[in-house]
Amino acid sequence: MSKKDFPKKILIHTGIILFLILNMYPLIIALSSSLRSPNNMTSPLNLFNEFTLESYKLAFERMNFSRSLLNSLILTIISVAFVVVVTSMSAYPMARIKSNVSKFLYLFFLSGLIVPGQMVIIPIVQMIKGLHIPSTQFTPILMFVTCSIPFSSFLYTGFIKASVPEEMEEAAYLDGAGLFRRFWIIVFPLLLPATVSVIITQGMWIWNDYFFNLIFISKSSQTPLPLAMLGFMGDKENPTQWNTLFAACFLCALPLILAFGVLQKYFMSGLASGAVKG
Amino acid sequence: MKRILAVIIALALALSLLSGCGGSQKNEDSIATGGTNNQEDTQKPVEDVKPVTLTMLVSGNKSPDGKDIELDILPKMIKEKFSNINLEATKLPDEQYNTSIKTKLAAGEGPDIFLVWPKTGVCGAIDLSKAGYLMDISGYNIWNNFAKGAVEDMSYDGKVRAVAKGLDLLGIYYNKALFQKAGITEEPKDWTSFLGVCQKLKDAGITPIVTGDKDPWYLQFALYQIAANVVYPDDMDFDVKLQAGEESLTNPKWVKAIEMFNELYAKGYVVKNSLGIGSAQACSMFIDGKAAMIFDGTWDYNTLMAKGEAEFERGFMATPANESGKATYASASTAAGYAVNASTKNADAVKQVFEYWFDVNSSLFAAYRDASSSISVVKGVPLENELFKGVYDIYQNGKSVYFCNQMWPGAVATDMETKLQEMIGGQKTTPQDVTKAMDAKFKELWKN
Amino acid sequence: MNSSVMKRSMYLFVLPALIFYLLFWIFPILKIFQYSVSDYNGFVQKFNYIGMDNYISLFKEGVLVNSIKNTLIYTAVFVLFGNIFSLCLAFILNMNIAGKGVYRSVAYIPTLFSAIVVGFIWSYVYMPDSGLISSVLKAIGIDGSDFNPLGVGTTALYAIVFVEIWKNIGTNTIIFLAGLQTIPNELIEAGKIDGCSSWKLTRYVRIPLLAASITINVTLSVVNGLKAFDYPFIMTNGGPGTATNTLIFKIFKYAYNEQLFGKASALGVVAFTIIIIITGILVMNLRKKEVSL
Repeated sequence: MSKKDFPKKILIHTGIILFLILNMYPLIIALSSSLRSPNNMTSPLNLFNEFTLESYKLAFERMNFSRSLLNSLILTIISVAFVVVVTSMSAYPMARIKSNVSKFLYLFFLSGLIVPGQMVIIPIVQMIKGLHIPSTQFTPILMFVTCSIPFSSFLYTGFIKASVPEEMEEAAYLDGAGLFRRFWIIVFPLLLPATVSVIITQGMWIWNDYFFNLIFISKSSQTPLPLAMLGFMGDKENPTQWNTLFAACFLCALPLILAFGVLQKYFMSGLASGAVKG
Repeated sequence: MKRILAVIIALALALSLLSGCGGSQKNEDSIATGGTNNQEDTQKPVEDVKPVTLTMLVSGNKSPDGKDIELDILPKMIKEKFSNINLEATKLPDEQYNTSIKTKLAAGEGPDIFLVWPKTGVCGAIDLSKAGYLMDISGYNIWNNFAKGAVEDMSYDGKVRAVAKGLDLLGIYYNKALFQKAGITEEPKDWTSFLGVCQKLKDAGITPIVTGDKDPWYLQFALYQIAANVVYPDDMDFDVKLQAGEESLTNPKWVKAIEMFNELYAKGYVVKNSLGIGSAQACSMFIDGKAAMIFDGTWDYNTLMAKGEAEFERGFMATPANESGKATYASASTAAGYAVNASTKNADAVKQVFEYWFDVNSSLFAAYRDASSSISVVKGVPLENELFKGVYDIYQNGKSVYFCNQMWPGAVATDMETKLQEMIGGQKTTPQDVTKAMDAKFKELWKN
Repeated sequence: MNSSVMKRSMYLFVLPALIFYLLFWIFPILKIFQYSVSDYNGFVQKFNYIGMDNYISLFKEGVLVNSIKNTLIYTAVFVLFGNIFSLCLAFILNMNIAGKGVYRSVAYIPTLFSAIVVGFIWSYVYMPDSGLISSVLKAIGIDGSDFNPLGVGTTALYAIVFVEIWKNIGTNTIIFLAGLQTIPNELIEAGKIDGCSSWKLTRYVRIPLLAASITINVTLSVVNGLKAFDYPFIMTNGGPGTATNTLIFKIFKYAYNEQLFGKASALGVVAFTIIIIITGILVMNLRKKEVSL
C-alpha cells in the first residue's frame, strides 16, 4: 500500500468505529448503568461514573443465578444434543436419495419454519397431555427439538449434498459396512462444520427462549435464566431500578458472551458455512 | 433380510423414543387413573411423614429485598409448621401469569394453588369455576373471620372458590406540596372543582396528572372511577341488566363517562406523551415530584410512597366525578385471591396450609398481614395505612362500585383499552366509538 | 451412484425427526384448523362449532386488514433496511483493513442478547422525557419533549422494526461476509485489470455472486418479519391502539387475553396461508434469479 492510502484508511477506520459505537450505544449505556449501585439514578449519560457490583449482586440473588444457570445449561445441552443426532440422521437420506419422496420430505420439514410456536401452543400442550407426558423440567426439550428440526435439517441436507462426496461411502459399502455404521463412522464426522453451525444457531435460540419454559416449567427450582429474567419485567415495586434490571440483562447474556468470546471463530464460520452452502 | 433389518431398526427407534419419556410415563399412568389413586395416597395414616410438594403460581413482581411473602416467607414458615410440606412458589408478571396458568390448567398440569380474580373476566373465579378448575373450599375452617363481600365475590354456585387477599381501592394519589404550591387548599368534591384543581396546577406550571397509558390496563384506573360516579349511582343493577340483555354499553351514561375521561386529555391535564409512558415510569415520575396526581390503587402503596427525587406528603382521594351536590362514589373491589386446583392430588395438605395461613392467631398470618398491600378483609384487622382512611370510609358507607370489568367477559376491557388509546392518541375515535366497540364485544361473548 | 449403496431403507433415518415433527408440530397445526371454526375459549373443553363466523367477524371488525397491514409493513421495512445495512457493513468489513476481526465480533454482539433483554434496553432508549434518546437530545440542546416514538400511532411500528433490524444486523452481516469470501480474488483482480470501477465490480461481479447469501438472508428476514411477535409483546403491547398489532401478536392476544381461542385459530389459519404464499413466491423467484445470474 502506498502512503497516499493512509488518510483514506484513517477515514474508513473512523467510520467503522463511529458506526459501531452508535450501534453499541444502548448496550454501553446499559452496561454502565448496571455497574452503578441500585440507587444511583443520575443521568445514565454520565458513562461509568461509578463502579460497583452491588446491582449485580442484587440481580444475582433475585434471579437465583447459579441455579437458573445450571437449569439453562441442562436444558440447552440436552436439547442441542438431541437436535444434532435427530436432524443429521434425517438429513442423510434427504440428501442422498434423489426421489420425489426426498424432495417432499425436505420441503415438508422446511415448511415448519414458517409456523410460530405462539400460534399452536395450546394444541401442542393438549397433544403432550394426550400422550401422558408429564410437565417436568424436561418437557420443553421436546419442543426445542421439534422447533429446531426445520432449520437444522435444512442445514445438514445442504451440507451433505455440497460437501460430503458419495464416493467415500462407496468404499465403506464395499468393505461391508452397514448403513448405520456408514453414517455414524464415515459421514457424521465429516459433518462437523454443519454440526457446529447447528449447535450455535439452535443453541442460541434455545438458550434465550422463554416461551416454552413459561408454559411447561412450574417449579421455581427448575427455572432457567430467561424465565428468571421475566421476574424483572414491568417491575412495579421498584420502578426506578433500571440499574438492577440492566445488571440482570447482562448476567443473563453473560454465558453466551463468554461462549462467544472463546468460540468466536466457530460462531462466525459456523453460521457462514451452514448458510452459504445450504 | 434387509427388510427384516429395517423393521428391527424401526422398532428400536420407536422404542428408544418411547423410553425417552419412559421413566416419567409410569408416573403419569397413575395420575391418569385419577381419583382412586390419590385417595390411596391420602388414606395412608402416615400423612405427617410422607413428604408432599405443593406448587403455587402467583402473579405480580418479586419484592426486591428477597423477603417476598409468597416466594420466601410463606414456604419457610409452612416448612417450619409442617415439616413434610414443601411449598414451591413461582411468581410471574401479570401477562405471563395469564398465559401460563391457562395453558397449564388446560393441560391438566395446573399448580395446586394459584391466583384468581373476583367474579368474571380473565382468570375470574366464576369463569374458572364454570370450567371446573376450582375446588370448592367452603369446608375450610377459616370463613368465620372473613367479610361477607369478599367471600361472595369469590363464590360460584353458592360455594366458595378462593380466599381473597383483601380489598382494593382505586383513587388518586396526590402531592400535597404541589397542591399547596398551586394554591389548592382542599380536596375537590365534584367534577367541576376537580377540573378547577387541574387547571390551577396547569396554570402554576405543574403537570396535573401523570398516567402510564402505554400499559393498556392502566387506562382502566381513571375510567372505572368516573364510571362509578356516572353510570352506577342511580342504577346499581346496570351490569345485571346488561347481562340480561336489557341494557347496553352504548348507554349515554357510558358515553358521558368516556367523554369526561377524554376531557382530561383534551384540556391538557394529563402529562404529554402519556402513551409512551409505562406504569412503572409513571409511578417514578410521581414520586419524583414531576406531576401532582396519579390514578392508581391501594396495591401500589409501597411503590408510590417510596422516596424519589422530591420529598413531599401524599394524599389519597376518590376521583370526584360526581355532579356537585351529590356524593362521591369510590371504586372498590375484592382483590385477587388464592384458589385451589380442583384436580390437586394433595387436597389435605392444601387444607392444612390454608387453615394455618388464614388463622388469625398464627404467626404466619401476622407476617402475611404485615406484608400484604391490600386492605385486609379479615375481621378485627384494623386499616393499616392511614392514607386510605377517607376512601375506605366512603366504601364503608356503601358508596362504592366494584371494578366494572368484573361483570364483563375479559375481552371487553381489552377492546375498550385499545379504543381509548386510539382516542387519546387523536386517531378520530370518539367516545361513541369506544362504547360501540365495548358493546359489540360484550354481545359477541356473553352467553348465559 | 447405484441404488444398492443408497438404499431406500435409508429413509428409516428420517423416522425420529419425523415422529417428533408430526406429533408436536404438524398434528397440533391441524388442530388449529379444527378450532378455527369453533367457539373454543382455550380452557373449557366444551365448545360448539360455529362455521365461518370467526373468519367473518375478523374481517368485519377490521382486525384482518389492520394486522395484515402492520405485519407487511414490518416485514418490508425489516427485509429492505436490515439487508441493506448489513450488506454495506459486510462490504466494509470485507476490506483489507487491520482489526477487521475485532470489528466483526463487535458488530455481532447485539445478536447474543435475548429478545426480552433487547426489548428492555430499547424501551429505555425510547422512553420519553428521561430515556436515552430524550436525554441525548436534551444534552445537546434540542427540545426533545415531543420525542415519543412508541406512544405515537404513526411511529410506533417503525420504532420496533428498527429494534428488530438492530438485533439482526450481526447475523445478516456474517452471512454476507461468508458469501463475499467465496468470491474468487482472481475474478476481482481480472475486473480491475479490465478497468472496472469498484462500483461496477460491486454491481456486476460481487452482488450477483452473493446471490446465495442474499437468498438466505432475505428468506430468513421475510419469515422472521412475518412471524414478528417479541417486540410488540415486550415493548408496546400492540399499541397504541392497534398500531403495532402484528398477526402473531394479535393471535396471542386473542388466545390468552381475550379467551377467544377459536378466533385466534382462525386468524392463525389466515396468517399461515399468507406466510406460505409470500415465502413460496419469494423463494421461487429468488431461486430463479440465482440461476439466471
